[in-house]
Amino acid sequence: MMIIAGRVTLLVTILLLGVIVVAGINMSKSGKWTPKIRRLAGLDAVEEAVGRATEMGAPVHFSPGIGGITDQIAPQTFAGLEVLRYVTELTAKYNTEIIVTIRQPTVFPLAQEIVRQGYITAGRPDMFQEDTVQFLSSEQFAYAAGVLGIFNRRKVAANIMMGAFWAESLLFAEGGAQVGAIQVAGTASMAQLPFFVAACDYCLLGEELYAAGAYLSQDKVKLGSIGAQDIAKAITMVILLVGSLLATAEIDALANLLKK
Amino acid sequence: MDWKKLQNIDRRIIYILLILATVIPMINPIGIPVSVGASAQKFYNFMDAIPAGDKVLFSMDFAASGAPDIVPEAKAVMQHLMDKGVKVVSIAFWDNGPMFADQLMKTYEDQGFEYGVDFANLGYIPGGETAIKRFGEDVVGSVSKDFRNNSISSLPIMEGIKDTRDFAAVIDFAAGNPGTEEWIRQVQGTLGINFFVACATVSVPQAMPFVNSGQVTALLGGMRGAAEYETAMGKPGGAVAKMDAQSLGHLLIIAFIAIGNIAFFMDKKQAR
Amino acid sequence: MRREVPLIITFVVGMIVLFANIVTSADGSDFFLKAWSTEIENWIIIVSAFAVGLATVNLFRIHGDNITRQRPGWFNSLALLLAIVVFAVVGSIARLGSSEFFDTLNPNLYDAIIAPLSAAMFAMLAFYIASSAYRAFRMRSLEATVMLIAAILIMLGKAPVGEMIWSKFPTISTWLMDIPNTVGQRAIMIGAAIGGFATSLRILLGIERGHLGGAE
Repeated sequence: MMIIAGRVTLLVTILLLGVIVVAGINMSKSGKWTPKIRRLAGLDAVEEAVGRATEMGAPVHFSPGIGGITDQIAPQTFAGLEVLRYVTELTAKYNTEIIVTIRQPTVFPLAQEIVRQGYITAGRPDMFQEDTVQFLSSEQFAYAAGVLGIFNRRKVAANIMMGAFWAESLLFAEGGAQVGAIQVAGTASMAQLPFFVAACDYCLLGEELYAAGAYLSQDKVKLGSIGAQDIAKAITMVILLVGSLLATAEIDALANLLKK
Repeated sequence: MDWKKLQNIDRRIIYILLILATVIPMINPIGIPVSVGASAQKFYNFMDAIPAGDKVLFSMDFAASGAPDIVPEAKAVMQHLMDKGVKVVSIAFWDNGPMFADQLMKTYEDQGFEYGVDFANLGYIPGGETAIKRFGEDVVGSVSKDFRNNSISSLPIMEGIKDTRDFAAVIDFAAGNPGTEEWIRQVQGTLGINFFVACATVSVPQAMPFVNSGQVTALLGGMRGAAEYETAMGKPGGAVAKMDAQSLGHLLIIAFIAIGNIAFFMDKKQAR
Repeated sequence: MRREVPLIITFVVGMIVLFANIVTSADGSDFFLKAWSTEIENWIIIVSAFAVGLATVNLFRIHGDNITRQRPGWFNSLALLLAIVVFAVVGSIARLGSSEFFDTLNPNLYDAIIAPLSAAMFAMLAFYIASSAYRAFRMRSLEATVMLIAAILIMLGKAPVGEMIWSKFPTISTWLMDIPNTVGQRAIMIGAAIGGFATSLRILLGIERGHLGGAE
């Protein structure tokens, strides 16, 4: 058995990052180190959004994005599902209806289970209805049309979008704005960030979405993981800086090392 | 003047004016010249240098929604390659992709080109990034029949093709995931192919880091990219014709932004 | 066991696919991990296909209920279910059978219905960006002003009319795309990649269990 050519750096990176993340989680669990996440206005606004929907007697719409659970954007979907759990418990607390729309069939059973369990945890199993979680369509713009239809028919008062999105992001954001919904969005889909920033009231950028679960639950495991990610980023920044200086001096050592 | 009203113009007025700004130039073209950017020129020069008889792979990774932006690019590049006698093989990792490839190829069949010799449509492979990786490393092992149910081994164009390195260039017509990043991660990085991207306009910012690093040799961006390619070919077509609509549309949006900001500041001044 | 079995499957499958991409046999022969990984990838495709069936059942339940109870807009639900049946039947016969009528009908249905509807929805973006830009691009702060100016420069650089107004607009637009945009994209890309890695690692090791439902 041997390492495939060109994958040595990949293996070292995976092992190094893995050790950092696991060590961060263990240190946080044991109380030796508790990373603090700075205030994320978007997540603080989620409770405000649900409260507003309660006052208006209108439902909350939630979308965990259009990504699946087996593709490259799956981490965004999982991050969105973490926020869904929190939002479900909030809507149970405020006795507000939530409508969860799903694009990917593989996400549908997960979302259903999360919402069902969220209501059970909050002591409101009766709030879960057959159409609380709705699979609309796996065709991107058919899903978008379905969501816009829900916005206009149900006059949603809060629109929470957490996950991976493509071009329909602006349709949702502007459609939500047109019905007067308060909107909180979070995505690591870089092409869609400008649309959310322009059209939503609050927006989580990039990895702030991944920090959402930790921020909302203050769970030590998740906090440790977020802290470890920051350490990994710091190491990356050092490598970038050293690499830039070496490249400027036309020294290829680091670049060649990273290609191994 | 009611500056508050000017800050909240009924959006239907905006929509109507935008319709007029885009439809009128399509009926009565203005003919604003389109210059060719560096990336489009590089794309064209590379394709122009491919010898007749060589093969290029089209990866048709888009759906009907992205088609208005991407199909003009595919048409322009296909025309260039067919004119030069370069053969085209298409694959898709989006389920709608093969249909667009088939439509493109049927146009040339009507002109006397031969399916299976000048071009072939290998259809759709489900599985996203995993499928791209497998196809990149083993083309014939990933697909047994083409979109028209012919056995791959019966197609003369597939002779000599083992993996994607056997193509002179791989062009990803991409509207999202799976697409550019998956191709770069799984195939370009490992096999070192000549990789090009022709994407929707909205995907251009995301693709730029890969162009700057050299992982993407050259990029065409949306309708503008198609117009630039047509201009580089010296055969302005549908894409160039639609650029007038884009120009007026952009000017209209800028005008509304300006109106909104002027009203915003005048309202603030009045309030003081 | 209800939670442990999925976690074990996740770990084992994840490790196989991960190491199949990193290690190979020393003598260059077919490596067993690669074969297992390929088989797993096939199973992923099959399971995903079953998920489509599951989701379709949900569609039929919800919309069937709308029709039987004659809820407001029930005719839309009827149209949806009819469309599912028609497209499924036509597509299946075209794929599995050998009828010229269905071979022609299948792409025609797509070209006549799905393609124009999808394109129309995508085209709505143009109108929505116009109304969104008008509403949101106000110079309320320094960041908003920078975003506004950058947006205008890019729009003028990309549209041919911009070059007519001033020949330098395309150069400025290209610089903005090449330098500040790329810097921002790379930074977010790196952060998101590390975040994605950490999330994936937590799922692989069973530390993250939220997606399985139930208390964590």
